[in-house]
Formats: sequence, C-alpha cells, structure tokens
Amino acid sequence: MASHHPPRTTNHEPRTPWLVRWLGGEHLVLWLVVLSFVGLLPFTPDLASRENLANLLLTLLPLLVLACGQTVVLITGGIDLSACAIMAVASVVGGLAMNGDTGWLTGSPWAAPVGVLLMLAVGAGLGALNGLSVAVLRMPPFMVTLTTMMAGGGLAIWLIRSETIYNLPPAFNALGGRLALATLITVALAGGAHLLLSRTLLGRWLYAIGHNARMAHISGVPVAGVMLAAYVLSGLLAAAAAVLYTGQAETASPLLGQRLLLDVIAATVIGGTSLFGGRGKVLWTLGGVAFIKLLDNSLNLLNCSFFTITMVKGAVVLAAALLDATRCRLLEAEA
Amino acid sequence: MKKSSFICLLTIFGSLLLVTGCGKPDAPPAASGSGSPTTVQTIGVSFETLQTEFWVAALKAFETELARRHIRMLQAVADGDANRQIEQVRNFITRKVDGIIMVPKDARACIPVIKAANAANIPIVLFNRPPAESDAKSVAVVADNFTLARDTVAFLVAEARKAGGKYKALHLIGDLGDINAIGRRDGFDAAVSNATDVIEVVARVPTEWNNEKAYAGVVNALQKHPDIRLIFTPSDLHLPSIASALRNAGKWHKRGEPGHVLLAGFDGDATAYQMLVDGYLDATGVQDVYFEVEASIQAVLDARAGKPVPPTILDPGFVIHAGNLEEKAARMWGAKKK
Repeated sequence: MASHHPPRTTNHEPRTPWLVRWLGGEHLVLWLVVLSFVGLLPFTPDLASRENLANLLLTLLPLLVLACGQTVVLITGGIDLSACAIMAVASVVGGLAMNGDTGWLTGSPWAAPVGVLLMLAVGAGLGALNGLSVAVLRMPPFMVTLTTMMAGGGLAIWLIRSETIYNLPPAFNALGGRLALATLITVALAGGAHLLLSRTLLGRWLYAIGHNARMAHISGVPVAGVMLAAYVLSGLLAAAAAVLYTGQAETASPLLGQRLLLDVIAATVIGGTSLFGGRGKVLWTLGGVAFIKLLDNSLNLLNCSFFTITMVKGAVVLAAALLDATRCRLLEAEA
Repeated sequence: MKKSSFICLLTIFGSLLLVTGCGKPDAPPAASGSGSPTTVQTIGVSFETLQTEFWVAALKAFETELARRHIRMLQAVADGDANRQIEQVRNFITRKVDGIIMVPKDARACIPVIKAANAANIPIVLFNRPPAESDAKSVAVVADNFTLARDTVAFLVAEARKAGGKYKALHLIGDLGDINAIGRRDGFDAAVSNATDVIEVVARVPTEWNNEKAYAGVVNALQKHPDIRLIFTPSDLHLPSIASALRNAGKWHKRGEPGHVLLAGFDGDATAYQMLVDGYLDATGVQDVYFEVEASIQAVLDARAGKPVPPTILDPGFVIHAGNLEEKAARMWGAKKK
C-alpha cells in the first residue's frame, strides 16, 4: 500500500532547489495568509479590528467545515460538486422540521436537536447516493456529483416552492450565530477530519486510493467501501456546514450556498490539496479557507468594486491551479 | 507535521477566539458613528446582485448622489448569496459607517443584520425590497407596486376600450416569494376586475423572474390561445422573451398596425424605452430610481439627525406611454442609459 503521505521535499538535502522546497513546503499557504495579512494592514487598518476579526472568523467557520469534506473527496482523486446543493436540501429539511410556524416539530423541546440530526441524515444520505454511484456503479465523480447538484438544487426549491423558512428555534440559530459555539463545532469537526486523515487506517486508505486506486485494490484496500465513506463524510460535513450557515442567517433557504462552490474548491486547492488526488491535509485546507476569506474581506475593506473582487478571485484561483500543477511537476521531478 | 499540525490548528482558533472575545458575539461596537451624531461621512451600500439593469442603474445613481452630497460610499455586492451579504453588512458595521443602505437578498435573512445595525445604533435603509415583519427597526424605500401596476394595466384597458371588442389577456407573474411580485400581481388583478366587459384573462404564467421560463410560458400560452391580444409583464426584464415569442407567432406589430398586441411592462429599463420609441410597447410602470435613491439617502441623514423617519417610504412612480414619453423620459432611468 502506498504511503498516506504525499511526496515531500522536506529532507533538506543541500541540493534541493529552494523553489521546490518553498513550493512543496507544508505551511506555504499559512505563510501566505500571514504575509497577506501583514502586507494589507497598512492599507486597511480595520482588518485587525476585533469586530472585523470576529466577522471574519464567523464566516470562515462554515466554509472550513464544507471544505474539509471536499478535502476528503479530493484526496481520493474524486470531486464533490454537489456539496452546496446538499447544504441547500439539508437547510430546507431542517427548516421544515424546526420552524415555529408550520414545522413538523413545532413546540417540541426536541425541535432543534432532532432538526440537526435530520439535516445530518439528509447530508449523509445524499453523500451515500454519490458514493454508491461512484464506488459501486463506477460512474465518474464529476458526472455523479454534477447530477446530484442539479437534482438537489431542484429538490430544495420544490420542497418549499422557492420560499425561505423563518422562525427557527433560537437554540438552533445560536449554533451558527454565536461565535464561541460555531468555533467549538468547527474545531471538533475539522479536528476530527484531521485525525481521521492522519491517524486512522481509513485515512491511509483514502490517500492510497488517491495515489493509485488499482494498486490500493491489489494491496487489499476495500476501495469501494472507502470511496463510499469519503462521499458520505463529504455529505455529512456539507450538512454540518448547512447547520452553521442556516443558523447564521436564521433562515432556511433553498438557495443556500448556491454561489459557494467556487470558493469551496478554490480554498481547498489553494490550500494545497491536489486535484489529482493523493495529497491534502485539513491544516492546508484551513490555510486555503483563511486565504480566500481574507482576500474577500480585505478587498471589501479596500472598497473594491464587485467586478474587481470577482476578477481578482478568479485570477487567484487560476494561480492556485497553476501552482498545484507546477508543484506536482517539481515534486515528481525531485522524486 | 504530526502532532504539531493539530496543535497548530487549535492554537490558531484559540488565539482568534481570544482576540475576538468569544462569548460576546452580539456586543455592539464601541462607537456607532464616525463623527458627531448628525455628521454623515460614510454610507455603506450593499446590493444582493447587479444582474439586472435596474440594480446597475440604482448603484450608479447612489454613486452620483452620494458624491454630490460629499458623502463617501462603501459598496458591496453579495452575488446572490444571503450569507455573504450578512458578512458584508457586518463589515460596514465594523467600519463604523454612519448609515447602511441595502438591497436585501431575502426579506427574512436580512433581519439578523438589521438587528446588528440597530445594536450598533447605525440607521439602516432597505432599498426597493421591504423586510419581513419583525421587531428589527429599519426604513424601507419601495415602489408602490400595487398602485403603479394597477395604473399601468388601467392604461392598457383604456386603450382596449378605445379599440373596441373583447381582449384575451396573458398575465405574467414574477417570483411570488418576492413581495414586489405580489404587489404587481394584485395591481393587475385590481385593474382587470373592473374591466371584465373588455378583458378576459386566459393565461397566467409564473416566471420566477426567469427569462427562459417566461419565454416558454408565453410560447405555450400563444399556442393554446392564438387570439391573445393583451400582455402584461411584471418586469421589463421579460420583454425580450415576450418579443421573441410574439415574433415567432407572427404577432409582432407596432401600435396602429393591424394585429398589434397591447403590451405593458414594469420597471422602465432601456429595452422598454427603446420599445416605446419604436412603437412595440404601449406602456410601462416606471420605478423612479432617482426618487428612491434620494429618499434612501435622506432617510439615513434624517435618522442620524434624530428626525422622525416613517418605516416605509413609497415611490409613487409613473406610467410612461407614447403620449407622455417626451415629457417623462428624463425621469426614466432606462432612457438615461441610452
């Protein structure tokens, strides 16, 4: 079985070119985040204000949860385009169950916990659908998750006829709206994903499949089961992100996350998780998410126009994809 | 990068939580304005999208009007994402703007940020879309959708009466999750309910503000009722789709030509202006963007000055048609775009 660690250049041999060392470095993006933050401070002093950091952190958390799921799938060499649609369906189902007007659980003290469990079940279910199609039916992940994205988006709108659901339990809203709670939930989920990838047999199998699924199969890795687990996990984390986003907006919406897919994939790839599989870590994803949110936040603080922000973000995503390809090429050459 | 990764992760979150003072998420910023209570130096303007001409014209009008009043404008566009808009408006609050004007993505999802602005003592105005009912305090500057739609359709009814005979009508309906669409639908219904001797509504097409759905709906309606002679759309956004469907059905004729279909819209965009000039459109209800922009800014200034501001300011708008086109075009935002 292949090692769960990606090829690295941390042997610090004197002949290793500095560019390769820098590009292949574990903390490249985290350094970029720190440098960007320090570099932008003179131009946007508000960036470091307590209120802005709180705002930044509160909006970073659900994206990180969502991106952790994407990381797991990308490591296997797959992709989950349906993550945001899963969020929308989970949000709507949770809203239908919990809202204080017409909810199935109106008046029940268990509305919030049962609602959250329902949302997670929806996420896991749709993730399992993706996983079964990819692992058992051997369908391409791109097509499978694209289809789930379209069907899920339609389902979310159909379930509540385009309307949004309000009057959710305060206990539920607090999960996404209260910084301390949202942080605790995110640390638990991201930490769990980190431990899963770095400390468990399942984690090693995920990397092995990403490196070479055929070799992994020959080495005794239950490829289908592991792929299924990856997509279920992605669906679960998407539903958990839906809990945070829905709580933040205090509204369940079928349009939740409709425009987030680019941010999720961009953050994950900017972090260093490879689109080609076999390479990625939760800490890297944290760096990618922090970078993309910092970019968004600072461009807003700089009062850049919407068009500028969109163009800059597009350019950064392109640069990240280029960096990923260059990094892979350099590391292969080095190996 | 083994234990250290995890420790690093926890350290980052821990330090951020310490810096941001976790446990006090709803605490208002220390100061609520950048100057004295009556001084307005900066206003944050948040749009949910710039995907239609109306919003682009409104943003431009805000830029012009705020520059004229020597007020700095911070702008943010949420690209159709309610959560992103919440984040952007919170950014305004963080930057201690003197007022916030927002076009909310969602009438309900905007309530948490209205409450946050209330807590920070920053006046907040909702432009063109009112919020859902709640205890959050804001001012809404909105078009009088009902009256304007009713008057626009009444103009069409009068034209139909003049021409004589009974008119079969097609009514397009916007996204009924949007209170503006509901007002326009009710305005249409009120106008035709008084004119059953002239108008018979034979088809209603829900568009959800989507041009593809509008096109498909109009094509289907024209196939089923080829004798449709009157069409009302609740947004000029759909005029190109209607024109295309009419053209394909061989019913695209100018005013005065035999077979002309009476057509009216709502908004007052550049397409509507051109179609009025060319003679294909009979009337449109114009939302007075300039009135709404001026009223929104004035509401912020008045609120900062401690003057009473009503919770809703109605833009009466006006109906524009061939008879008053020259006189009213200067106030039609779509005409200014040309």
